[in-house]
Amino acid sequence: MIRRAAAVVFAIALLYPLAGLFAPVGPWRWGGTETAGAVWISLSLTGIAMVIVVVLGTPMALYVARSSTRERLWWQAVLLISVLLPPLALGILLSLAFGPHALGAFLDRFGLQMTNTPLAFVVTQTYVSIGYYVLGAIAALDGVSPRLELQGRLLGHGPWSVFWRITFPLARLGFAVALSLAWVRSLTEFGAIVITAYYPAGMPVALWTNLENFGLPAVMPLLLVFLLTALPLPWLAHILAQRRFARA
Amino acid sequence: MVKRREGFTVDVSLRVAAGEACGLFGASGAGKSTVLACLAGAETPDDGVIRLDELTLFPPPLPLHRRPIGYLTQDASLFPHLDVSQNVRFGLSNGVAGGSEDWIAELREKLQIGSIWHQPAHAISGGQARRVALARMLARRPRLVLLDEPFSGLDRHLVRELIAAIAEWHALLGFALLVVDHDAEVLARICPRALAIEEGRVVQSGAWDALRAQPATPLLAQLLAPL
Repeated sequence: MIRRAAAVVFAIALLYPLAGLFAPVGPWRWGGTETAGAVWISLSLTGIAMVIVVVLGTPMALYVARSSTRERLWWQAVLLISVLLPPLALGILLSLAFGPHALGAFLDRFGLQMTNTPLAFVVTQTYVSIGYYVLGAIAALDGVSPRLELQGRLLGHGPWSVFWRITFPLARLGFAVALSLAWVRSLTEFGAIVITAYYPAGMPVALWTNLENFGLPAVMPLLLVFLLTALPLPWLAHILAQRRFARA
Repeated sequence: MVKRREGFTVDVSLRVAAGEACGLFGASGAGKSTVLACLAGAETPDDGVIRLDELTLFPPPLPLHRRPIGYLTQDASLFPHLDVSQNVRFGLSNGVAGGSEDWIAELREKLQIGSIWHQPAHAISGGQARRVALARMLARRPRLVLLDEPFSGLDRHLVRELIAAIAEWHALLGFALLVVDHDAEVLARICPRALAIEEGRVVQSGAWDALRAQPATPLLAQLLAPL
């Protein structure tokens, strides 16, 4: 009972900043930057980024998780560098690395613009979140004994089959957490996105432009919509993982 | 086959006939488990050749899922998210022949796991887990069975039961059998032939009586001497 009460206090403290939604900032302004458009851009492009993150990040996590301790430390350093970069710095580095004097000139030949385009948006989101996903997935895979995978292989299943039948079911809760972190990190990204893809304006940039142009009354409704649309997907991932875990 | 370890090298040459049961015996750290791990594919040898009938297991390393080998260790390694039935059928769900219901029923009855058939694998006892692991391994009808201290941590009567079960299935299916254990008495009950290993090398091979009568090394004499 005391523990639950402590958890409740913790949760209240954690969510306390939301009390700001009830602050007397004047009548909420639902106009401002086109809300539905910003929501759509954020959710759809983050969705695409998450597919890329999972497709590229999962094999990497598998490789690192099953590599020797010494090799693993090197890979983890690489992943930590990507996570540790301040978003604004990452945005600047991305715009330079994919700029007209670097890879951008090559991509431009194929009509791929790396500034203020949906492509730039997705690439930036992928960069800011993939490190979180891979590190989380490695931790999830660490919970699965390699001996179980070995038995699966000796029972006639190839690596892919073993992953789907043994590794993933046992690590799914950790994978759900890793994906949630990547989703949230990607969806809420502002510092890097504002440098590389100010347009198309997703939710964080729309919040900023609303604040600049119309003040707090235009920020509050967008913030509420942001919370309501961003929460369901990672929450659903947790619910599904928990359910299957409980059944297993 | 050769496998280099920190401090010593496992360098053994051995031949096991089809249907033969052979016990690998030696002190802890002699390299017995390394030999089994290399045969199973859990570890890759540094040199040498490993063959199983017409199949070359090394070199190059044959993928584990193509090896007709059963490998059982002291850790039953049951899949905790599956029930007993799903564990036993696991190796049959990949297009492997011999997976008829009669065969599964025979394994279930003879190994006395019918009462726990639908229980989650993580909810059964250690002795039951070994029997389920044995059933899961035998379900695929392996040509070579490797047992690495399969009786470790079990009560005496459970060890007797498991020895009887292994001997029965060995006679029935005719697979080649390699067993590692530190207890010569236990090994002798399953395997007529012994291979004694010291510091990664086979120092003596033959019937248990011959080893006891004339052990090749002082350490082997100590290991074979009654308590």
